[in-house]
Amino acid sequence: MSSMTVSPRAASWLQATPFTLIMTCLVMVPLAIIVSVSFMDFGFAEIIPEFYLGNWTDLLRSSLTFDTYKTVFRQLAIVWTITLLLGFTISYYLIFHVRSNMWRAIFLAACAIPFWTSGPIRMISWVPLLGREGLVNQALMGTGVIDQPISWLLYSEFSVIVVYVNMLTMAMAGPIANSMAKISPSIIQAARDQGASEWQVITEVIIPLIKPGIVVGTIFIITAVMGDGFLVRAMSGNQMNTPAVAIMNEINAFQFPPAAAKSVVLLLVVLGMVGLLLRFVDIRKELAR
Amino acid sequence: MKIDSDFNAKKLMPETEAPADGGVTKYDVEMIAVSKSYDGGAKAVDTISLRIPKASYCCLLGPSGCGKTTTLRMLAGHEDITDGDVLIHNKNVTDGAPSARGTSMMFQSYALFPHLSALDNVAFSLKIKGVGKTERQAKAMEFLTLVQMEHLAHRMPAQLSGGQQQRVALARSLITRPKVLLLDEPLSALDPFLRVLMRTELKRIQTELGITFVHVTHSQEEALALSDLVVVMSDGQIMQAGSARDVFEKPANAFVAKFIGGHNVIAVDDRTVSVRADKCRIVETVGGVNIPATVTSIEYQGSMVRILVKDEAGKEYCAQISDTRFFSDPPAVEEKVMFSWLPEDEWLLAA
Amino acid sequence: MGTRRSASYYILSAVFAAFLLFLYGPMLCVYLLSFQGPEGGMSFPMRGFSLVWFETLFTAGGRGVGDIHNSFIRSLRLGAIVAVLTMLIGLAVGMSFRRRYPGSNFVFYSAIISMIVPGIFVGFGISLTLNMIGMRPQWWYSGIGAQLTWSLPFAMLIMFIILGRMDKSYEEAATDLGASSFQRFQYVILPLILPGVIGMFMAGFTSSYEEAARAGLNIGTGNTMPMELTGLLGAATTPVMFAVGTLTTLFMFTLVISTLLVSARLAKRRQLRLTAQHA
Repeated sequence: MSSMTVSPRAASWLQATPFTLIMTCLVMVPLAIIVSVSFMDFGFAEIIPEFYLGNWTDLLRSSLTFDTYKTVFRQLAIVWTITLLLGFTISYYLIFHVRSNMWRAIFLAACAIPFWTSGPIRMISWVPLLGREGLVNQALMGTGVIDQPISWLLYSEFSVIVVYVNMLTMAMAGPIANSMAKISPSIIQAARDQGASEWQVITEVIIPLIKPGIVVGTIFIITAVMGDGFLVRAMSGNQMNTPAVAIMNEINAFQFPPAAAKSVVLLLVVLGMVGLLLRFVDIRKELAR
Repeated sequence: MKIDSDFNAKKLMPETEAPADGGVTKYDVEMIAVSKSYDGGAKAVDTISLRIPKASYCCLLGPSGCGKTTTLRMLAGHEDITDGDVLIHNKNVTDGAPSARGTSMMFQSYALFPHLSALDNVAFSLKIKGVGKTERQAKAMEFLTLVQMEHLAHRMPAQLSGGQQQRVALARSLITRPKVLLLDEPLSALDPFLRVLMRTELKRIQTELGITFVHVTHSQEEALALSDLVVVMSDGQIMQAGSARDVFEKPANAFVAKFIGGHNVIAVDDRTVSVRADKCRIVETVGGVNIPATVTSIEYQGSMVRILVKDEAGKEYCAQISDTRFFSDPPAVEEKVMFSWLPEDEWLLAA
Repeated sequence: MGTRRSASYYILSAVFAAFLLFLYGPMLCVYLLSFQGPEGGMSFPMRGFSLVWFETLFTAGGRGVGDIHNSFIRSLRLGAIVAVLTMLIGLAVGMSFRRRYPGSNFVFYSAIISMIVPGIFVGFGISLTLNMIGMRPQWWYSGIGAQLTWSLPFAMLIMFIILGRMDKSYEEAATDLGASSFQRFQYVILPLILPGVIGMFMAGFTSSYEEAARAGLNIGTGNTMPMELTGLLGAATTPVMFAVGTLTTLFMFTLVISTLLVSARLAKRRQLRLTAQHA
C-alpha cells in the first residue's frame, strides 16, 4: 500500500484541476467579460467602464445586423445540405460498400491528407481553378460552352460555398461514418432478409440509427460556418458581410464594446442552435459506446 | 410453455403450393455439390450435397470453422455460392436475392433493429411491402402471440432479456412466411436453463408450423435433442447425415464418434471400432474384451457417473454407468480396474 | 462478406472518386504551380519549370513574402509546447473520468462549450480579459493558453473514447495482483492507451499549427504561420504562396509519417521485449 493514499474522488479532482483551470480562466471568464464589456461605453481604442446601452440599441436597430444574419443563414443552409448529402454518401460507401479494412483505411487517409496543408494555402489554391484565367474557365471556353470567362466563380458567394464544402464535408462525414460503423452487419442483412431494397435499408434502418452522427456533424458545420470570418473574407474578396466578419472588422478598429455586443448575440444564436440539437442526443453516452 | 389450443399456427404459414414439376417434391432443401472458396483460396465448404426432407428439423453440427455457418449463409443468400446449386421447394435459388428465395434467417446476435419496438421489428417486412399500419401491427401481434411475447410488444430491444429478444427475432423471421427458417447458433447466447426451455419451444413451433428449420450448432446435445436430420460437418465436408439415433448409434467414422461424444474409439486388431461409453463396464468383468486400467477421475452426473480410466500405454477410456450400479461397488481414483465391453457393442468405423 | 457487387457500388465509387478529385484538385494545382517558371503567374499554363519561387523564399530572408521564415519558427515552437501540454493535461483529465465524481459534468461540458464557441470569441474574450486587468499579451502565456482552449477538448475526447472502451477488469486484475495505483498506471493503463497519448500529441500540434482565430489577438508581437499567410492572401500575385504551400505540406507529411513510424517502432520494440521475456 502506498503511504500517500488519497480518496478516489480527491484523485479525480486533482487530475482534472489543470484542465478545469484552463477552461474556467480562458473560456468561461472571458465569455463573461465579453458580456459585461458589451454594456460599456467606449472611446478611441479604449473601454470606458460605465454602464451604457448604446451598443445594444445600435445593434438591435441596425438593419445591417439583420442582413448579416440573413447572409450567414443562407450560407449555412446551403453548406449544411451539400455536406450532409455528400458526407452521407461518402460514409455509406466507405462503411457498407468497401469491404476490405485495408482499403477503407487507405481511403480515409486519402481524405485526410489534403488537410495537412495550411488553411490559407488551401483557400488560395482555388485561384488557379476558379479565377478568370483558371482551369474551369479555360475548359469551358475551350469546349465552346461560353465565350467570356465567368467572373462569379471566384470572389463570390459561389466560391465561399465551394471552399466551405471542400473544408467541411469530412467534418460531417466523420461523425456519420463513426455512427455507421457501429451498426452491426447482421442488422443490415436482417433488413435485406425482410425484403428491404438497398434504398429501404437506408431510409428505414441506417438513417434512424445514425441520427447521433448527423447531429454531431451538424454541430461542427454550424460552429464552423457561424464563427468563421477569415474564409468568407478571403473567398468573397471582402465583399460579403456575415456577423463574424462584422465583429472582426470592429475588433480590428479597436471598437471593443460594440464588437462584444455583436459577439454576445452571435454566441447566443450558436449556443441556442447547438443546445437545441443536443436535446436529441446524449453525446457523453454516445462517445463512450 | 403452454400452448393456446385455439391458436392455429399453421394458418400463419403459406398455403402449400403445387410442386413446380407437377410431381411430388419430397425435399424442402437440396444442395448439389455446393462449394465456397474465398478469393480462390482454400475451400471453406467443399462440394457438399444434402437433401433435407419436407418439414424437418435439421441441425448442422460441427466444431468452429467446419463450414456449417458458411453453409447456412449460402442457403440464406448472404454468401455467394462459388460452385454448385441450391434448390428450395424444387426451385433453383442459387443466384437469388436473400428475400426472394423463401428463406429467413435468425441471427446469432438476433439483429433486432435497435430503433424499433418489438412490434415494429416484427412488422418490418410488412412495412417494406407497403402494408398499412393497423393491418401490419395486427399481423405482427399474431406472430408475437405465437412466440408468447404479446405482453412485451411495445418494449424496445434494449429493454428485453436475451431470451425475449430471441423470441422477437423468431417472430420477425416467421412473419415473412419462409419455406425454410435458418437459425445461426440460436441458443448459444442463452444461459443453460433458458437454452433448454427455448430448445423445446423451437421444436414446438417447428412442429406446429410444419416448415423446415435448419439450425447451426456446435452442441451435440442440442442436435440430438432437436433433429430429424443431423448433419455432422468437419473441414468443409459432411462427415455424416442421418437421424439423431443413426448418428449416435452408428457413427460413420472416428470423427463423428468422437464429436458426438459418449463413445470410445478403440483400435482392435486392424480395425477401428467405437463403443458407447454407457455400454462399457469397469470393476466386474463381463466376459467380453477386458483391458487392465487405472481410474483417473470420477464425475458424478446425477443419474449417471462418468469414469475415466487410463491403460498401461496411457490411452484414455470412458465408461458411463448408472448411479445405482456405481454406488453398489464404487471404485476410487488410482484404483486398478478392468475396463470391459462386449464384442456385440462394437461398431465398426470407416477407415 | 461474400455477395456480388450491386450497381450502386459502381455509382458510389464514381461519386467517391469525384470527391477525391474535388479534395486533391486544388492541392495538385498548388504543388504544380509552385514550380512555375519565372514568367509564369498564379494560373495555368505552366511557363516552364523552375525553383525560382522557392529561391525567393530563402533569399534575402524571404523579402516580399512577409516574414514567412520567422513565423514558421514561431509556429513550430508554439506547436511543440502546446502539443506537450495538451498531452500531459489531457492525460490527467482523461484519467479523472475513469470514475464519476461531483463536477465531472462541468468539466465535460466546459470542454464541449470551448469546442463549439467560435474561436474568435474565445480569442476576443481572452484579449478583453487581459485588457481589463492591464496585461499585455505574450505568446508564452496568453498565446499558449488561447490555443490550449482549442486543443484540450480534443485531447479530452480522445481519452474519453479510449478509456471508455477499455475493459475495467484489466485494472481490477492488476489490483488483485498487488499493483499500486502508480504501477497500475505504468504497467497496465499507459501501454493500453499509448496510441491515444500519441494521438493527443499530434492533435495538440496540428491544432496549434493551424490555429489563428484564438491565438491571433493574444500572441503579442510576431505572427505565426497561418496569421502571416492570411495576411498575405489578398496581396498574393505570384506563385510564391504556392511554394510556401508545397514546403509546409512536405513538412507536415514528414512529421505525420515519422510519428507513425516512431509509434509503430515503439509498438514493435514492446512486442520484441515481451517475446524476449516470455522466451
